Amino acid sequence: MTNSPIPAETARSRSSPRRRFLRHLVAVVAVLGSAIAWGSRAAAQTLPAIPDLPPGAAPPDVAPPTTAPVEVPSAPAIPAVEIHGFASQGFILTTGNDYLTPDTTRGSFQFSETGINFATEFADKVGVGVQAFAQNIGVGGNFNLRADWFYVAYRWRDWLRIRAGRLQIPFGLYNEVNDIDAARAPVLLPQSVYPLQGREFLFAQTGGEVGGFVRMRRGGALDYRIYGGTIFVDPAILIPPGTDLQLQLYVPYVVGGRLFWETPVDGLRVGASILAIRLNVTAFEGGMSASIVNHSVLAMGSAEYAVRNWLITAEYSRWHAAQDSALASSQFSRTSERSYAMLSYRAAPWFEPTVYYALYFPDVSNREGGSAFRQDDVTLSFRFDVGAHWIIKAEGHYMSGTAGLVAPLSVTPPPANPADHWGVFLLKTTGYF
Amino acid sequence: MTYRSRIVAITTAFVAGTAIVMSAHAMPSRGSYVVVCNPNSSVTAVNRTFLQDAFLKRVTVWPTGEATRPVDLPPGSPTRRRFTEDVLKRKVDAVRNFWQQRIFAGRDLPPPELGDDDQVIKFVLRVPGAVGYVSAGAALNGAKVLTVK
Repeated sequence: MTNSPIPAETARSRSSPRRRFLRHLVAVVAVLGSAIAWGSRAAAQTLPAIPDLPPGAAPPDVAPPTTAPVEVPSAPAIPAVEIHGFASQGFILTTGNDYLTPDTTRGSFQFSETGINFATEFADKVGVGVQAFAQNIGVGGNFNLRADWFYVAYRWRDWLRIRAGRLQIPFGLYNEVNDIDAARAPVLLPQSVYPLQGREFLFAQTGGEVGGFVRMRRGGALDYRIYGGTIFVDPAILIPPGTDLQLQLYVPYVVGGRLFWETPVDGLRVGASILAIRLNVTAFEGGMSASIVNHSVLAMGSAEYAVRNWLITAEYSRWHAAQDSALASSQFSRTSERSYAMLSYRAAPWFEPTVYYALYFPDVSNREGGSAFRQDDVTLSFRFDVGAHWIIKAEGHYMSGTAGLVAPLSVTPPPANPADHWGVFLLKTTGYF
Repeated sequence: MTYRSRIVAITTAFVAGTAIVMSAHAMPSRGSYVVVCNPNSSVTAVNRTFLQDAFLKRVTVWPTGEATRPVDLPPGSPTRRRFTEDVLKRKVDAVRNFWQQRIFAGRDLPPPELGDDDQVIKFVLRVPGAVGYVSAGAALNGAKVLTVK
């Protein structure tokens, strides 16, 4: 069984860049318009009207503060359903290698996300929510609408909350917001630790979770999560266009947990995450089939310090993967190493620059194996909050090494003759409410 | 640069950055706000960490067992800025970012934001378990003042 790299001509011939850009622009504007319309409606419904009172006058059923109970009318002042959404359009240009999405060396607008969510709570104990999400990034994009997450949650105590559904995986500081542009400073989180290419495997699991928050007087507080379930992976995101490769994927289990200690120093928290997953893959091509069985254990240590206008973050992670396959190129047992340090400064309410340095070694036993066995990423990013619901970001990366170009599961070979030193430039705008 | 020196450089940068920021950190002075709650509450005083946890919805019940219902002022309000920096120990932008993360991760919903002191007082008077803050000179109309320890 053979595999083919993505034929560049096939990708380019589907439509011209200008037509693609116009198509994406129309789609994003339509979604953004709908989102803002929903937002206006949601805002109007956020709280019930509260009757005005003359200045200084007591409400009819409320007495001045006394030790005796006061009769006050109860009111369902919490909104019935909260609606939030976002729409993003980005542009990505690379100087050397196609990265994250096809044709980035020529510049690509195939970098869009949109989502809308609905959530509500009942009787202070039960919550339900769902988020619809679509994106156009990478070979499997094309705005396929799907339920990003959905849940039913029950809070027994603050230290014991139970959730079930399709739940975002708490791994490290930012895995849960990896595709939510408005919730972070840079366009791209450090790809060594939060790879967009691994989104299908790392973003959400369908199953259950228990977690809670425990305050320990002078010892700070603990925030924990333990979860288990499965992952439904869309094979399309792994299949290069122009090939007749087909994949069947099955995740027997994914289990893990995360523990954060909110230290007594305000804004300083440290934590650890672990995730174990088994993935069974059957690949079909040209009348032949091959199976891939992947066992992976991912561990991460995290530290974050938020004080005044500064946010300092550092994370270190090791992922051990053992993969059995009839495909020689897809058979391995190795441990990768991933880390980054990031510094953000909110210089003004409308401006936040960020700088980070990220490291990625796909095989710790071969750190000096050349550019294919490492990737350094030095990033400078600027976030402009041009309105309460609109942001624009500009970002540049200097990349050294090509390890980050390899597709998940190694089902496709790495690109031929990649540039060892290359740059990535991104522009992105997001509307949200 | 070798692998070991890279790790050392990252660790040093993080520690040094943390030290610099911590050295520049000074306790903000208490602003002119008043923390208020529903007049039927038997709670008369809370410590700052409880209030912090309640407004970040990490704690959802009063020590008496009643559900907490925090309410905020708009992000541009000077009173909210003072309260947030004093009690939550964060900037308003950081708290908004915190809630963006919670909302779009499907984790939680932020406290409702009301337009001004008067709206907060009315909310607190009407909703059992409610807790909010208003500027020091606002008319309380019977809302109970909480002492923050």
